[in-house]
Amino acid sequence: MNWAGAVFGVSAAIALLGALGAVGFRSIFHNILSFALAMLGVAGVFLSLGSDFIAVVFVLVYVGAVAIAMVYAAMLSYPLDHPPRPRSRWKVLGAAGFAGVGAGAIWLVLRSAVWISPGGRPEVSAAHIGVRLLRDYVLAFELISVLLVVAMMGAMVVARRSRVGGGR
Amino acid sequence: MLHGCLVFSTLLFGIGLYGLLQRRSLVAMLIAIELMIAAVSVNVVALTTLAGRDATMGQVVALILVGVAAAETAIALSLFVAIHRESTSIDVETLSELKG
Repeated sequence: MNWAGAVFGVSAAIALLGALGAVGFRSIFHNILSFALAMLGVAGVFLSLGSDFIAVVFVLVYVGAVAIAMVYAAMLSYPLDHPPRPRSRWKVLGAAGFAGVGAGAIWLVLRSAVWISPGGRPEVSAAHIGVRLLRDYVLAFELISVLLVVAMMGAMVVARRSRVGGGR
Repeated sequence: MLHGCLVFSTLLFGIGLYGLLQRRSLVAMLIAIELMIAAVSVNVVALTTLAGRDATMGQVVALILVGVAAAETAIALSLFVAIHRESTSIDVETLSELKG
């Protein structure tokens, strides 16, 4: 039995179901929980591709950090006492149509390209990724570090209440 | 398997695009953008693992994508909190102060 194929099928189904819930449910909390489920499914897809390290990083970053941060932001900013306003049917249909056309165009491009399989699956460990990251891609690594520090400080500056403007 | 991965990432990207266009809450739109970034990561890793020579490069690119997405989420969520403090709503249709 092809275990990678089975894991891929189950994980992809979970991820697509979670993604549908993440954009479909009306409640923002249900959206965030479905998003975490979708990211778990995507991590399963990475596992089936043999990318164990990326799968763990996805669970840690998206399910562990991003979803929790989104819950905090929703609690701080979403007007939960307001009932959701009804949506215009034409807007929903237009969004679905545009997304369908976009995905169809991407699929046409992907299908028309010729992908050559090298045969055999390469083994990639976390050690390989670390060596490459600090040897060939060290500039990108340092830029990401700077970007994360700047983003963290910027987030604190933007979200804090200024003491000057009367509590704002 | 490669075919399945490409179909999966295209569907995930399409769902994210639909959510980005159809939702009005800023947090929900951010969720949709994250779904699209995840679809791109799956595509990069699948193509470099199953149809390329350098699988490590694809995983390094996916790691960098995760880092950029995390920075973007931090900034976006703090902006939502700041916007809510100013206008008590993060519904994009009510945020029209800059409209000319």
